[in-house]
Amino acid sequence: MPIKLSDKLKNANWQLIIAAPVAAGILHICATYAAPYLTGASAYSRLAPALPLNKMHILRPVTPGKEPLPFLSPDARYAMCRFDTSQGPVKVSATLPPDAGWTLTVHSPHGDNLYAAASTPGRVTPVLIVLVPSSDRFLGVTPEARGVSRGTQPPLAVSATRGIVVVRGPNGAFAYRPRVLAGLKEAHCSGRTF
Amino acid sequence: MGPLAVLSHSSLSLAHLFLHKLQKQLVALINLLGDWAAFIGAVLILGLASSWYMIDSGTLLTTEREAPWVTWTSAGRIDADPYTRAHFARLGTLQLTTEIARSYIAYTDSDGEKLHSSCDYFIDGREPRTSWWSLTVFDKTGQLIANPVERYAFTSQSIAIRPNGTFTVTLAREARPGNWLPTGGAGRLALVFTTLDARAPVLTPQDGGGSALPEIRRIKCR
Repeated sequence: MPIKLSDKLKNANWQLIIAAPVAAGILHICATYAAPYLTGASAYSRLAPALPLNKMHILRPVTPGKEPLPFLSPDARYAMCRFDTSQGPVKVSATLPPDAGWTLTVHSPHGDNLYAAASTPGRVTPVLIVLVPSSDRFLGVTPEARGVSRGTQPPLAVSATRGIVVVRGPNGAFAYRPRVLAGLKEAHCSGRTF
Repeated sequence: MGPLAVLSHSSLSLAHLFLHKLQKQLVALINLLGDWAAFIGAVLILGLASSWYMIDSGTLLTTEREAPWVTWTSAGRIDADPYTRAHFARLGTLQLTTEIARSYIAYTDSDGEKLHSSCDYFIDGREPRTSWWSLTVFDKTGQLIANPVERYAFTSQSIAIRPNGTFTVTLAREARPGNWLPTGGAGRLALVFTTLDARAPVLTPQDGGGSALPEIRRIKCR
């Protein structure tokens, strides 16, 4: 004798049926938040071993078989600086030429852009930032407090403990390449004290 | 009927009762285990599969789509949602924030067929109003495709554009006249269209009508 639908519904374990979507939701949230930490190789972990600490390094042109990251376009040349502010602030400076396509970005180890600047055609864009540790820490007395005039525009402070600074220059035609390389060489990254 | 027969009948009933009880308990245990197995299966499938789908493909909450192009709306941002963070962590890329740039990726042509190096494609577009843009071809894992002319991308600085502001890029294995992007024998392909200057939205209609995202037309396959 076939079991009636009403009997099936009557005998169903409603506690588990109601608990299933709730538990699935919890698992969904946990899996989503855990996913970035479960990836085999994040961009930071791939790049960090090849980059000197607190020093700007110009990467070789991106070519087949020598891509530092997947989907990294060869339409640009890159200069990168792996920074660590645990021993003190890190100063980053660059002058983005008056051409389209130049950017300077500060990435956290998770890939977030903590700071981003893009060039403006027809106008030079100077960038001067100081990366400071995220934690509360005495960083020394500022030049102004010591009665010393800076003489230049004060740098922008960006809070970050570790990460990578990326300067990107558009890789134009052959004749423009020395100009792009010169622009990347203008970018600096160094540990500093207040 | 003697007393012996009564005793035998009573012990048989007791054994039968015991077995019946045992059978009932076993059925209840099997039902309970079945319910829990179904519960765990449903939780794993619903929880993990939905998470994987939302991280891998994105939804209307996290992406903007104009077939076949997809862009993640909060890529690289410090306030990015967890799906976007997980998506790019899984890809292993360093994204520019969508405050200054947008990256559109296509794995299929405009008819929804997967891009493949055994086919030739025309990519027709009009120059976007952004200050700088590029179109790059990768294999499906995001690696560049080796080719004798060492050409992997066209940018707003290197592409040949018609006087009316439109362009056509040919995606093909063998050399083609005009803007040719070689695909070699890479198999499945991915196209990435990057624009700098996020203030000039690419998905909104341009002067000529449609959006500035190129159309990918399949010409022929081998």
